[in-house]
Amino acid sequence: MQIYLPIAEIPVNIFLVLALGLITGFLAGMFGIGGGFLATPFLIFIGVPSAVSVSTSTNQIISASVSGLLAHFKKGNVDIKMGLFLVLGGIIGSSIGVSIFKILQNAGQIDLVIALTYVLFLGAISLTMLSDSFKNFIDKKFGMDWQHHHDDRVKFQWLLRKIDKLPLKTYFNKSEVYISIFVPIIISFGIGILVSLMGIGGGFLMIPAMIYILQMPSHLVVGTSLFQIVFIASNATFLQAIAGNNVDIVLGALMIFSSAIGAQFGSRIAYKVDANATRAFLAVLLLLICFKMMFQLFAEPSNIYSLEILK
Amino acid sequence: MKFRLFLIIFLFIIHHFDARAVPLISGISSNEINVDTEFKGAQILLFGAKSDAGNIVISVRGPRKNFIVSKKENLLGVWYNGERVRFKNSYSFYSLFSTFNNGRMIEDNLNDFELGKNNIKFEISQNLSPSKMNEFRIQLVDLLENKQYFASNTKPIDFLDETLFKVMIDFPKNILLGTYVVEIYLINNGSILSYQSIPIYVNQVGLSAKISDFASNQSVIYGLLAVFIAIFVGVLTNYFFVKFIKK
Repeated sequence: MQIYLPIAEIPVNIFLVLALGLITGFLAGMFGIGGGFLATPFLIFIGVPSAVSVSTSTNQIISASVSGLLAHFKKGNVDIKMGLFLVLGGIIGSSIGVSIFKILQNAGQIDLVIALTYVLFLGAISLTMLSDSFKNFIDKKFGMDWQHHHDDRVKFQWLLRKIDKLPLKTYFNKSEVYISIFVPIIISFGIGILVSLMGIGGGFLMIPAMIYILQMPSHLVVGTSLFQIVFIASNATFLQAIAGNNVDIVLGALMIFSSAIGAQFGSRIAYKVDANATRAFLAVLLLLICFKMMFQLFAEPSNIYSLEILK
Repeated sequence: MKFRLFLIIFLFIIHHFDARAVPLISGISSNEINVDTEFKGAQILLFGAKSDAGNIVISVRGPRKNFIVSKKENLLGVWYNGERVRFKNSYSFYSLFSTFNNGRMIEDNLNDFELGKNNIKFEISQNLSPSKMNEFRIQLVDLLENKQYFASNTKPIDFLDETLFKVMIDFPKNILLGTYVVEIYLINNGSILSYQSIPIYVNQVGLSAKISDFASNQSVIYGLLAVFIAIFVGVLTNYFFVKFIKK
């Protein structure tokens, strides 16, 4: 059954979109990621314009994050004070991100920049994950030691020493850290820009940053990250709707419903399967998406001239 | 069929048509095209009668839009949009029918009326060398032809007898919205003896049209609504799965 998307201005098969949402949600729930990294490329591959794919994926992230956040709230796993400073930086970052997005759109370079950032991040993430999975596999099979058991925090010592000199230090009761308010603001500012440009939640950067730079206890990390994503993704979605008219509410609703259901099943399966194998599977999937994106960048266009009809 | 009904009414009018008073009269089967999500393109029938000697030229022009033509360039293997030329207020649809058996004749005679593809005037907002301007103008017309917005050739006009003629105007399924104008000219020895202009309104109808209007006219409410739906579904799924399904 075909359905016409009012903002993307293309007809799509409704079952294809629902299936994409289910798969995205399932994988997101299974791996504990937001799903933006999967949803945006999937939408681009079925012919939705890049700008609409990114903005609509941001819309879907709100829903996935709210659902996860509520579960963490109940367990008391959210540092609201830290979260609010992250929101402050993230709101500024994502607003600037939407402005950059708009400028690139007017210059006709948004498709290029979206594809490039995806190739870069997907390539880096999937290769890191693959090498980790491979090392784990070798460890188990042959009992070898790659000496990765030392504390990763050592790597960040130089950065932490610099951070320690920043002014306006405050104590965060819940996380039990004493740190300058500029640290969470700057971190989420940078990630906020990526949220707007790529249609992702940014958890893959935010969570390591919380552990290694903010030095938050690990049980608070996911809940607090989801807390700030809800606000930042809402801000980005709202601004994309008013600045660029890029949010397709029909596509968004279909993706939101189907991915919410997929996520519930994914998170239940997650306990029952081998973590290392599923991580390797996700890494391969992300690498394939990376290659497909790369192909779009390098393939010779059938016509080197293209037409844009302005509204 | 509605074409047949139209034809009967039209022939009735023609019957009372006083040739000496007006040398040219014509009508179309519909003034309106409604585009919905199922829209597969449309055909409109134009019928006319002429009482004087001369050639008929019929042009169909779509609403003026702004276009950008980009030329892809390659840097280290990556294709990106290089040069971009912006065309202001250009026709988004152009189709021509004529009884001249030689396209050049119309173009030579009637360039002031923008009849004939090579006579269409384009307005470019930046400074370009004449050769660049020509390159991008040709590409714009080419791209518009690929989308079936521009007809690639001048089409002939069917004559039923010496005075009655008809043409079928094709509109593609990706048609742009706005007011289209059909113009019928009777031309003899390079001068226009008679001229008639008929508008066709192309409107979008249905739910998706309403949503897209809402998104551009009430973007603040639309944006808030998108955020609200997402939050609502998030809360709902959490509630639903915690309450009823629990692992």
